[in-house]
Amino acid sequence: MASGRIETTPGRLSRWGFVDAAAAGGVLDRLAAGGTPLPESLLNRFGPVADSNGALSGLARVIEASDDRAALLGALESDEVYSERILAVLGASSALGDHLARRPDDCQLLADADLALSRPTAQGMRAALLAAVGADPESSEPTAGVSGSAAMESLRVEYRRLLLTTAARDLTTEADVSDIAGELADLASAALESALAIARSEVGAEAADVRFAVIAMGKCGGRELNYVSDVDVIYVVEPKPEVDEQTATNIGDRLAAALSRACSTVTAEGALWEVDAALRPEGSAGVLTRTLASHLAYYRRWAKTWEFQALLKARAVAGDLDLGREYVAALSPLIWEASAREGFVSDVQQMRRRVEANVPAREVDRQLKLSPGGLRDIEFSVQLLQLVHGRGDESLRSGNTLQALDSLAVGGYVGRDDAVALADAYRFLRTLEHRLQLRRLRRTHLMPTDAASLRVLGRSVGYTRDPVEELTSEWRRHAREVRRLHEKLFYRPLLQAVARLETGESRLTPEAAKQRMVALGYVDPEGALRHLEALTSGVSRRAAIQRTLLPVMLGWFADAPDPDAGLLGFRRVSEALGSTHWYLALLRDAGATAERLARVLATSRFATDLLLRAPDAVALLAADDALRPRTFDELRGEMSSTTGRAESAEAAAGAVRAIRRRELFRISAAEVLGGVGPAESGPALTAVAEAALQTVLDVATAEVADGAPAPTRFAVIGMGRLGGSELGLGSDLDVLFVHEPTGSADDEDASRHALGIATELRRLLTLPAPDPPMQIDADLRPEGRSGALVRSLSSYRAYYERWSLTWESQALLRARPVAGDPDVGAAFTELIDTMRWPQGGLSATEIIEIRRIKARVESERLPRGADPALHTKLGPGGIADVEWTVQLLQMRHAVQVEQLRTTSTLGALAAASDAGLLTDREAETLRAAWLLATQIRDAIMVAKGRASDSVPRDTGDLALVAGVLGYEPGRSGELVEDYRRVTRRSRAIVEKVFYA
Amino acid sequence: MDKQQEFVLRTTEERDIRFIRLWFTDVLGYLKSVAVAPAELEAAFAEGIGFDGSAIEGFARVSESDMLVKPDPTSFTVLPWRGEPGVARMFCDILMPDGSPSFADPRYVLKRALGRAADMGFTFYTHPEIEFFLFNELPDPGQRPTPIDNGGYFDHTPTSVGQNFRRDAITMLEAMGISVEFSHHEGAPGQQEIDLRYADALSTADNLMTFRTVVKEVALSQGLFASFMPKPLAEHPGSGMHTHLSLFEGDRNAFFEPGADYQLSKVGRSFIAGLLRHAPEITAVTNQWVNSYKRLYGGGEAPAYVCWGHNNRSAMVRVPMYKPQKGQSTRIEVRTLDSACNPYLAFAVLLAAGLKGVEEDYALPAGAEDDVWSLTEGERRAMGIEPLPQNLAEAIAVMEGSELVAETLGEQVFDFFLRNKRAEWHDYRNQVTAFELERYLPAL
Repeated sequence: MASGRIETTPGRLSRWGFVDAAAAGGVLDRLAAGGTPLPESLLNRFGPVADSNGALSGLARVIEASDDRAALLGALESDEVYSERILAVLGASSALGDHLARRPDDCQLLADADLALSRPTAQGMRAALLAAVGADPESSEPTAGVSGSAAMESLRVEYRRLLLTTAARDLTTEADVSDIAGELADLASAALESALAIARSEVGAEAADVRFAVIAMGKCGGRELNYVSDVDVIYVVEPKPEVDEQTATNIGDRLAAALSRACSTVTAEGALWEVDAALRPEGSAGVLTRTLASHLAYYRRWAKTWEFQALLKARAVAGDLDLGREYVAALSPLIWEASAREGFVSDVQQMRRRVEANVPAREVDRQLKLSPGGLRDIEFSVQLLQLVHGRGDESLRSGNTLQALDSLAVGGYVGRDDAVALADAYRFLRTLEHRLQLRRLRRTHLMPTDAASLRVLGRSVGYTRDPVEELTSEWRRHAREVRRLHEKLFYRPLLQAVARLETGESRLTPEAAKQRMVALGYVDPEGALRHLEALTSGVSRRAAIQRTLLPVMLGWFADAPDPDAGLLGFRRVSEALGSTHWYLALLRDAGATAERLARVLATSRFATDLLLRAPDAVALLAADDALRPRTFDELRGEMSSTTGRAESAEAAAGAVRAIRRRELFRISAAEVLGGVGPAESGPALTAVAEAALQTVLDVATAEVADGAPAPTRFAVIGMGRLGGSELGLGSDLDVLFVHEPTGSADDEDASRHALGIATELRRLLTLPAPDPPMQIDADLRPEGRSGALVRSLSSYRAYYERWSLTWESQALLRARPVAGDPDVGAAFTELIDTMRWPQGGLSATEIIEIRRIKARVESERLPRGADPALHTKLGPGGIADVEWTVQLLQMRHAVQVEQLRTTSTLGALAAASDAGLLTDREAETLRAAWLLATQIRDAIMVAKGRASDSVPRDTGDLALVAGVLGYEPGRSGELVEDYRRVTRRSRAIVEKVFYA
Repeated sequence: MDKQQEFVLRTTEERDIRFIRLWFTDVLGYLKSVAVAPAELEAAFAEGIGFDGSAIEGFARVSESDMLVKPDPTSFTVLPWRGEPGVARMFCDILMPDGSPSFADPRYVLKRALGRAADMGFTFYTHPEIEFFLFNELPDPGQRPTPIDNGGYFDHTPTSVGQNFRRDAITMLEAMGISVEFSHHEGAPGQQEIDLRYADALSTADNLMTFRTVVKEVALSQGLFASFMPKPLAEHPGSGMHTHLSLFEGDRNAFFEPGADYQLSKVGRSFIAGLLRHAPEITAVTNQWVNSYKRLYGGGEAPAYVCWGHNNRSAMVRVPMYKPQKGQSTRIEVRTLDSACNPYLAFAVLLAAGLKGVEEDYALPAGAEDDVWSLTEGERRAMGIEPLPQNLAEAIAVMEGSELVAETLGEQVFDFFLRNKRAEWHDYRNQVTAFELERYLPAL
């Protein structure tokens, strides 16, 4: 047959499309040597094949396995359509190549001239797969005639034969990916029916005692199945007359187990796929089969919102279809009532967040299904919109993603163009997924990484010029499109609803827009829509930018505790900043800054108020280290250089306070955005206060001295939370003023001078200004409000020696020089050390005295009407309880235990547990209570802009505070529970350590 | 508007219901009721009906008084009261103004406990046997009540008033959709027992609230007085509420394991172990009145000691005789509860104690076979059988240290309950009783 021999130079082989010419040459030589050389006419047809090498070696295996090689070759050569199909299948799927190599006769299936024009009906596939296991397709309960592995093998072989024709249609015709997916779902349903027939024969006569239905869920239910995927099902069983329910579910369980085995057992012919019944009531913990009534009872009573979402796709596919349809008919009304259930809004928020957040870190770039903007995103988001709007609009109730997306667009719930783009992306991703899975008939959603595989994949979806490049860029384009999915699906239609523009396409009705706003967590949808309208109407550049930005912003607001306030705040900031150049630039980039802004506005009234006093602080959020609290040194440096430039003392103080306001905004924003930990905000706020105090004190000192040498040296001692470096956002500054006349000065003169400094300091710090004032509180001074505001060191010494009261010593535990002359400060601390850390600790009488005062404070200080259990400062287990306990330990033991000599509550707690004065558990419990109480006080300030000592009772306020503290929406009650729990535990320790 | 709600509105229309009572329960287990006209129903379903929570024991303080009751349409029942046509009732959930559930609502306490069980894959069923007394009337203060008869356990007294009473009460209960399993005359004069059919714990608790009302109504209509007081007559046994508990995993009884001792699964055994280990700390909830302890320590069948036994009628937890072929009915009987408990809270703490045992895999101690009452103090100590708290004060003291009860009731109910019970004990301690006067006045 020398004349039949063709020339197989590498050049020619490459032209036929073989990437690996040497390997192809080898195969061709082998075929020729075997007496069946491939004719050139056939080789010419390899050009369009995705993987020519794979197709060639597949074809070689089929030919070599064939009984009548010549006939097969002849048929392929003469029938161009036939050979194209064979090559397409062999070039796309090595798994189907294996099948054909084992059963060369099945090649015939692809010779059918009608294959491209008609697809097998669902009925036809059901009949074929039933017949394969010897069951009668006409019977109402077909039972397999063969059993065991023989039946399973026949089922698998026949299934693959049908799959072969589907794959051929997929690869060689223009069939839409959704048609193929539907066909695959029908094929899977037929396989379930056949597996049930096998199960019936396995269970035996008893199988006839029950009605048994298989409901497909997930992709099979939605008629959008992949080549290889777990098939999600739910089983329904009903006893026939004379059979009791318990027996029926027993039989049902056995049928279900056998059915699952019939599909998933690995035999000589492999397996089909896993049957997954995990979507059933109670998940994998629940019983396998239930009666219709039991299903209904579960969904009425226990089911969660996501379970109703899963029910969207329920479809009766095998077994007793009447029963299956009853199930679907009985349950589907419940789906549409889900949006009226309690907690729906917060469920939806959680589910939405889960879609956005829950992506496995590994392989994230290669995932077709789970990556951001992947298939699951699209499916999930479409389903959510169906749940929100499907209650009132029956046209939205399809289980099929593409159909649902289409009807959402028709109804105006989703923009028409967005819907088209999304549908395109969905089809594209699904096609890639189909091709990937077809290759080895494995369940995979991972894009390959090597160039060879990418090339094959690219060619298989029709990119022939530069398959790798075209595929990658197209994939990126779609991913970009889908990545802003939520913006498109959820938010952009809202803008269209308020837009006055006539676009000609249907849009969200005002009613549906309100529904959507409510589902997204907006409390006042009318108001919100009005703000939207105000922000986006008009032709200004700002409005244009905001039209683009708002769909994203709306999502960020919706994730925060108070979306309504966020939108309103944004409107006010935007109106205040007008068309400032940098502001527009900041918005246009829509990066992290805009997101930070959105979250701060929708969470914190405190930060929003500060921002509205000086809106340009928005710029602060743009910096990389925006959320890092500034150190004392940085702040002191900045403040000093600012005051150096000021023209008057008032202007200097104003400049300092403006810096302080900016830092308060920064810290409160950081509390919202998670930039500071629970124990960090106190020191940060103290640094700001100390820097401001020192700088303004410098100004006041210079002002009073007026160029002359001062007759006295002056210092400010921080007390309370200031002394402890534990300031909160709402704390006053507790101080003492002390001075030491210089050697020659007249005492009275010195006192007058010192009083002048203190008064000026106070005046400058509280001058009326747009900034929050710094309130100085000197009530802890000797003789309280009736005593002198400023005393000399010797006066303090005289007073403390004569009058020293236990509570005064206790207050001095937190005394620390914070501003002014360091020597005077040091002399003052030396003076008080023996009082606060008394030699020999406390006497029994003194301890009783402290306990008595504390007990009286508990009952008397609490404001009228306050609930002690929720009072963070004075309530049981709260701040005062912990601090008094720590302070008692300090006064008793600090003389021996040096580490206890600290002004910090947390520091002293740690020292007490190190020294064995408290067990680790006790110290940890007190610390937890103190921290939570402190955090709550700060969070109240952040959220409400007003200080309060009580956990809010108003549920709205409570939700805001809980939001700042990171509780999920709708779970603010847990904050109260948590607070009560930690304080109950801490109170038990206070009882033991402080009182006993 | 869902189907159930529509059904309620339709029935209201069709049956000419004039007003609807919305029922809920305060923390101590008293039934509360607010009546609304049919016209308000729709709003009640949509948003709930506002009420002043501070007026209800344990719900709220004055400053946070706005609360909502939201009817549960599945509990809609036309009340078969005579002389009061056209009245229906529904049980309600208590909500905060923002629609979130109130942590003070006993029904929510139970729902949360059931939710935790559901997370572990369990549903919780209960079956109570309710004892109570029928007296001729409510006596004047200081007078002894007179029972309606002198019958004894299972006595059949053909012309007995009690029998008529039970027949009427059961008819009315059945008319309200509450199935009665069993009823008979109990051990003491005038004492009756009616057993409800087993149902999930939330329905049972709702049913118990209904039951108490029905029994009181029927007694009044016959000129009698019914009381669920735990121990009204010092010389006769008190009224307990022995309750059978079972856990289901899906449709399967989780307590049942064929072939095991007493057919009791590992879950069942550790559940009992949990009930026993935590018994002292939950006693203030299961036996919440000063008077409850007069029953517990009154001898007879009352279980004052922490132990379990198979068919041992003196044990705190009894594992009833197993009936072959009835695997689904495997259950355990807790005998501490009295008829005057708050069923929502009591079921919640029992469930939590049992589940704690399951979660932490507690080992079940040996069962008691003897009548615990007939053992000597020393014998009991040797066998490791602890007593339950002897009075309300002791019970409160143990409960105060209980993380389990605090977690189960929620901090708010926990705190209120303790405060209320301390006050009750305080009031009781201030009494000078007839006993003291009789014994001391002449002699001292």
